[in-house]
Amino acid sequence: MPDKVKILIIDDEQVMRDGCTRILSRDGWTVITAENGHQGLDEIRRHPSEIDLILLDLMMPGLSGMETLERIREIDSNLLVVVITGHATVESAVEAMKKGAYDFTSKPFTPDQLRLVVRRALERRLLQKETEFLRRERERSLRDIAAEKSKLKTIINCMGDGVLVCDSESCIALTNPAASRMLAMPELQLLGSISSECNLPPELLTTIEKSLNTLDSGYVSISQELCIGNTANLYLRAHTAPVRSDSGEIMGSVTVLQDISYLKELDKMKSDFIAMVAHELRAPIATVEQQLNVILNKMAGEITEKQEQLLRRAKERTKGVLDLIRDLLDLSKIEAGKMVQYKESVSLQEVVSRVVELINIEAAAKKISLEFVSTSATPHINADRNSMEGIFTNLISNAIKYTQEGGSILVRLEDDNSFVKISVTDTGIGIKQEDISRIFDRFYRVKSSETRQIVGTGLGLSIVKSIVDAHLGSIMVESEEGRGTTFTILFPKEVKSAECAVENVLT
Amino acid sequence: MGKKILVVDDDPDLVETTSIILKSKKYDVIAAYGGIEGLEKARNEKPDLIVLDVMMPDKDGYSVCKELKADPDLSGIPVLLLTAVVANIPTTRFTQRMGMETEADDFIDKPVEPQVLVERIEALLAKQ
Repeated sequence: MPDKVKILIIDDEQVMRDGCTRILSRDGWTVITAENGHQGLDEIRRHPSEIDLILLDLMMPGLSGMETLERIREIDSNLLVVVITGHATVESAVEAMKKGAYDFTSKPFTPDQLRLVVRRALERRLLQKETEFLRRERERSLRDIAAEKSKLKTIINCMGDGVLVCDSESCIALTNPAASRMLAMPELQLLGSISSECNLPPELLTTIEKSLNTLDSGYVSISQELCIGNTANLYLRAHTAPVRSDSGEIMGSVTVLQDISYLKELDKMKSDFIAMVAHELRAPIATVEQQLNVILNKMAGEITEKQEQLLRRAKERTKGVLDLIRDLLDLSKIEAGKMVQYKESVSLQEVVSRVVELINIEAAAKKISLEFVSTSATPHINADRNSMEGIFTNLISNAIKYTQEGGSILVRLEDDNSFVKISVTDTGIGIKQEDISRIFDRFYRVKSSETRQIVGTGLGLSIVKSIVDAHLGSIMVESEEGRGTTFTILFPKEVKSAECAVENVLT
Repeated sequence: MGKKILVVDDDPDLVETTSIILKSKKYDVIAAYGGIEGLEKARNEKPDLIVLDVMMPDKDGYSVCKELKADPDLSGIPVLLLTAVVANIPTTRFTQRMGMETEADDFIDKPVEPQVLVERIEALLAKQ
């Protein structure tokens, strides 16, 4: 008990009060006394919920012990009362017990007897207090849970994103106003229905089923775009993931819906703008380059050596601008999510070996040996094939650009737990430590006497990084100046759900 | 006598340079500065080959090509499409697909290298 135990003795006999006080104080308990029933009741009122035990003499002048007991019970029925009976009359003790006294002891008693009965009563008191404490705790946690639930409910209801929670039987267990607005279905129609019976977009249904049947124990979330309504004026992005219990078994799924219609609109404006730039900016430069080509090929008459030299440089500059436009368009396409929209099962082994084969001519022209080693057993990832070709073309041709004649480049494909790891290692000029952190920045180009002759837009690696990011992968670079550079990319392996596995067998 | 080649492009500078390239190889060149004019000249002149730009304001190269191939008199003339679509890997597939759909016989990304243009034209004519 945290507080010091307080015992009240109500007895008209001075000797009894003093005697009991002496005995009980010795055991470390605080004792207060009262000479008669009224005084005793006053003491109880003065120290509410402080008194742990009352020793009450039944035979007192004035207010009788029995009446005092009744009044005590009226003040607080939890108060523990041990009655002291003067002449060992069992009847009055029984009557007192009936009226709610906890125990009794009869006079005369030895100090040990007194201690025994007090201790027993106090143990009871302790249990009483603990019970009370636990009851309050429970009440409070129930209140907390209720508050938490209400808070969560409010948060979910206020969210601009739609929420759709299904249980393991794919019955909709929770939804919010945003979801019912986006799906154009009243909340009541959604709640409690089996998801397949309430007109959800079929693609979303498939995803929910897939999510509920996920075999992989890792975190798997499926994102997809949905088109609502016949006029296709509402576009949603849906993220669906399974909910697991402590033991890892799937208890349901959560789907979060985002309205991306305005993004789609922006995307269209961006595409229109890009098309405009591509034509209006690129076309005249392409014309200039073609004119230069004709002059350089002496088709418009002879030119002097100096003129030819100047025109060749001019052509290099137009080519630079065309490359820049191409990279800019690539980048804006990636940002618009266009380049990685068509994800499919792609074998990196196949992609990389094709790129290596195509690019080998460039390497051979510089007398650089280009080797591809694959030890991966399952090199399949979920990716956009063209983007994959793009990033490996970029990394390997970079390696060729920054490696001197006679050097070598090693492309390696291997498994790394749930990732596929691809590294491109060259024996080139390397990257200075201070440049490493910036090479993925847009338009950043390492400037040194060795790189001056190398043509580039400074966008290539930034594009590579954007593509890697869009595939939830990571890219790292290690380099030693003068010794060479290694780029390492990790992609998460394809996640197989029950259905996916079947699809893969079929294709 | 040299073979007759029709060059269709809305950019007069490109028509001029393409003509210079072709004339240097002793081809006879007819110029058209738009899709509609191109179709008309194809019908009147019956060229041996058509070099056709894709992006033209009045009628784009795909539509012109479709009409040419739909006309039994003209469908035998090889068409070489000049695409301004940015030449990178992702769009090459798109270009190829569009090229196939319009039944063009070959396509080159702009700007063209004179040798490449000449080689492709020679290859197309050799097939005839």
